[in-house]
Order: sequence, then structure tokens, then C-alpha cells
Amino acid sequence: MDYSEAAERISRKFSKSGKAVDVKKIEGKLRRLVDEFGVQPQEAERSVTNELNKEFNIPTAGSGGGSKAGSGNEEKKIAEGVPGDWVTIVGKVVALSAPASPSIAQSGIIADESGAIRFVAWAKSNAPAMAEGSWYHIESAVVDEFKGVPNLKIHSGTTVKEISEDRSLIPTPVPIKDLHPGIAGVRAKVIQEWDASHERMLQSGLLGDETGTIKFVIWKEPGKEKLVVGAVYTIFYAQVDEFNGRLSLNLNTATIMQEEGDIPVSGGETAVQGSIVHIAPGSGIIKRCPVEGCNRALSRQNYCPIHEIQPKFVYDLRIKGWLDDGEKTHNILLQRDVVESLTGITLNAAKEIAENNPLGMDEVFLQVRDKVLGRYVICHGREIDGRILVNTCERVKFETSEHAALLNRAGGSS
Amino acid sequence: MITNPQDMTRKEGAFEREPARRVFATELRECRYQFKDGEDEKSPTFVLLPTGERSNRIFIVGTLTEKTRQGEQNIFYRGRVVDPTGTFFVMAGSYQPEAMQQLAKIETPAFVAVIGKPNLYQKPDGSFMNSVRVESITVVDKDTRDLWVLDAAKQTLDRIDIFNIGTAPDVIKTKEQYPNSDPAVFRRAAYDALAQIKM
Ligand SMILES: [Zn+2]
Repeated sequence: MDYSEAAERISRKFSKSGKAVDVKKIEGKLRRLVDEFGVQPQEAERSVTNELNKEFNIPTAGSGGGSKAGSGNEEKKIAEGVPGDWVTIVGKVVALSAPASPSIAQSGIIADESGAIRFVAWAKSNAPAMAEGSWYHIESAVVDEFKGVPNLKIHSGTTVKEISEDRSLIPTPVPIKDLHPGIAGVRAKVIQEWDASHERMLQSGLLGDETGTIKFVIWKEPGKEKLVVGAVYTIFYAQVDEFNGRLSLNLNTATIMQEEGDIPVSGGETAVQGSIVHIAPGSGIIKRCPVEGCNRALSRQNYCPIHEIQPKFVYDLRIKGWLDDGEKTHNILLQRDVVESLTGITLNAAKEIAENNPLGMDEVFLQVRDKVLGRYVICHGREIDGRILVNTCERVKFETSEHAALLNRAGGSS
Repeated sequence: MITNPQDMTRKEGAFEREPARRVFATELRECRYQFKDGEDEKSPTFVLLPTGERSNRIFIVGTLTEKTRQGEQNIFYRGRVVDPTGTFFVMAGSYQPEAMQQLAKIETPAFVAVIGKPNLYQKPDGSFMNSVRVESITVVDKDTRDLWVLDAAKQTLDRIDIFNIGTAPDVIKTKEQYPNSDPAVFRRAAYDALAQIKM
């Protein structure tokens, strides 16, 4: 048993919920249980974990088999494995990916009817090399978590055997709003393609279905192709990652099939009500690059970061700001038509001001600001990458019924 | 909707803006405890509201009744913003040039919406002075003021509900810092504020 690895695993589990534990102490306890008391490694790990749970007053979740020694030999469905479990599974290798470090022999995705999980076979595990498309019986592997994504660890105590099996697996796509970190499939449409922010990135953009939207990324690798904007795909075995509370889909491990036809994408619709507490610089009237497909905002000197000086710019209106409901502040972006209807200032009127007022574009900023700052509005739009792209924005109206309800509530017994 | 890709990919990183709490003047006046969250020089400073929540920023709407320009070299403006429960003391100095220009231009009296940072100051005689450092101040209409009264009342009542449950860390901190504070006072203030709006 690798005591320090097991101790790390336990400590990670607790530190995730904000509990600090002493890794060296855990390692010592594990060693003592196994070496001195002859306890099986998986049982030692479970017992140390439970002891800590008690210490922190955490109820032991689903004690099914919890006290049974050697339950790592119990066969489980892949979807049932939770971090900290020792499991035995039967599954099909549906993807292999390049190992991230020399200590890893193989990594990829293994699936059964219930779901799929990323696996990592340590170099020291001496596990046989697995082949994509083949089925394996994997005994006494450990489920842990890496960056919030469950991971099946194949270590030196794990037995891997190829089995003859050629059932076909038909995974079910998950609605985008129900995705959580791990491996999943979606049926979605490519709504947008974004500028690659990294030279190793082949493509990034936005996928949507009826329930929501999610960012996707494909990294450059032999055989990887870009998705077509506007096309619908069924995607299996993609990796759902979480970063700063936002999910994204990594498609490098995925099986991707383009589909005929179209699907409705109403996804990501949110409504937020609050007051506009900040109007950011760059709001008001702006100039955009006229080069086909560019549309970038130009600097004051009419300079596009890509196409340099563009004297034949195109005017546009927008508001970048913060909408605050008292609990949370939302980054909002209002485009021209929304700005026009909210402020009553049309693009033409703004152009007049920008070209004739001594303050120029700044005057438009000030007028827009004075018309919206501090006002209660309700914004409907799509939340993308932490910002709400607002489709409609209306002033909130005073509701007599709400007033009456609040009077009631405040007047009620304290 | 046409979306400019450039507007989309810019990341604000892990930056989270502190929300602006809705608080009546009578509650802000009772704040006696201010703390920093974190060791860093840039860590935000909070005042602890007696209804049991920290506040780094507030949003108020009321009537600007007075405004004075002060200082010789370092000009700053002070103002009084009145809500149905009391008075907020607001100020804007040369560190907030935009806010100062806004405040300088407003003719009193006027309904104003103020976004600002609450600031607690202990005078040499030991008494406390609560003021609001203005980030922005705009003239608004009466509807906005009325909406704010509803909003501030609702959020005050929400805080009191959480206070009465008693388990939130800020609530525990509040009970330590303000052992004599009675949330019923602020419920009453919310009721009185609501009652001042004509049905
Ligand atoms: Zn350009």
C-alpha cells in the first residue's frame, strides 16, 4: 500500500470541505492499522476516514457495505462510484488520451451502461496496456477526485483483466443544465465560435441545447477537427470540467457525431432584477472595426488591434456594467437596441452628440450613465462565461401588491 | 442577436464584486464594528450591520437635502441623504473624482441613488460616526425611491429572518459585537418606512 498516496487522498477529501487534517498523522495511522493490526488497506483507509468524519461530525454517507471488509471486490456500476470508494467494475475503454506525466502509464475513459469515468493507470501499477474498444474487468481500483472530476485510479493493488464482450453501449445525452463535473454526453448545437485564446487550442466556443449553454474547447491533437457553427452534434464521453464555478466541456476524449437538422436553443436564459450600480468605461457610443467579420471596438485613435487604423469605422452603442440585487452582482452587457430602448437615446442621436458636443463621445457616456445608474431594472438574457448578454432590459414598476405584502410581513409578529 | 466575439472572451478572472447591501439609515447609524476580511492590504473592509450581515458596499436612494463643499487644497463634498428612517452622511473627495463631479452638480433637494462604501469612524470623545464614501450618485425619480424602500424593507426583513435562525457566521459575530442589539427595532423601522409610501 502506498501510505502517503492514500493519506493525501483522504486529506484532499476533507480539505475540500474546508477541514484541515494532518497528512503525516493519517499516514502513520494507516501504516499502524495495516502493519501492526493486519487490517486490509482499503479497510484501513475507510476506518481512518470514518474516524475523521466523526471528529468533524460528518455523518457517514450511505453506509451500505461501509463496514464490510474487502468490499472493494464488490462489483459496482461506474455511475455508483463515489470518491473514496474502492471499486470493482466491468467496462469498455471508450477513449485513450496521452498520459500527462511519465508516472502515468495510460489514461482515458472507461464506460458501462450506467455512465463513464476517467481512469488513470499508474506506471507502477504494472497493469496491462488497455485498448480502445475492448472490455475489462478492473478489480480494487480507487475512485478519487481530481479538480472536482471523479477519477478511477488503477494502482499496484488493482487487477486488470481483458474480457471477451462486445455489447454496444448507447449512452444517453444529458441536458446541458444538468451537467456536472465528470464524463458526460450532450446533444447540442454550436452557437458560437470564439477567438482561440491559446496557441494549443484548436477551437473554443459555445454549445447550446433547449436547457442551457456551455463553453467547449478542443485542443490541438492529431485527428481532431473543428466543429461547424450552426451544426448539431451528438457528443459522447466529453469531459465536464469546472473552473471558478463555471463548467466547460473538453471534447478531446469525446466521440462526436454530426446530426442532420436543427434543434431549438433557448438555453441559458436568465432573468435578474436589481439596480444598476456601475457603468463601466467603454459604455455609450463606441466605434467598431469595419473589416468583415472583425467588429472589434476601436481605440480613441480608431485603432483596431488586428487591422490597425480604420478611419471608416462604424458607430455602435453598448452598456457594460454591473447589476446588483443586494446579494450578488452580475456583469451585464447591453447591445445597441437594448440601450436605445432603455435610455431613449438612439444611435443617431448619440452620433449627433459625439460629433457636435465639445465633450464628444464622453458626453454620450455621461448622458447614458445619468439615465440608467441607480435604476431598478429587470434584465433577460443569456449568461455566458460569467456575463449576462442582455436581450431585454426594462425598468421595474412599483407593485402595490408587493408593497401590501411587505407591510404585512413587517407588521407581523417578531 | 449579433455578438461581437471580443465582448465575450474577456475574462474578469475570479474577481467577484462585493454586492451593495440595502440598508436603512437607522440601521447604518447603529454600526459599531468594522473589520477586514483577510490579511492583505487590499482585502475588503466591512462594517457589520446589526441585523447580522457584513457590508462592504451599500445602495441607498433618498433625498439629498444638503450639500457642502469643504477643504482648501483637498476639496471634498459632504451631503445629507434622507430616507424614511433617518439620515445618511455621504462624502466624495478627490479620490473619487467622478463621484465628486456628480455630487457637485446636483441641486438640492433631489432624489438621489447612491452607491458607496460604508465607513465607520470613532471620534475622540468615543462616539461613532457612520458615513458613506460615494462611488456614484445620480438624480433619480420618486418611483426609484419608492422601489428602494420596498427593496430595503424586504432585504432588512430577510436579514432579520436569518438573524433569528441564528447560525450564520456573521449572525454569530453580530451577537458577540452587539450583545444588546434587538432586530425588532429594525423590523419596526422597515414597517414605518413602508407605511410612509402612499398606497
Ligand atoms: Zn479589425
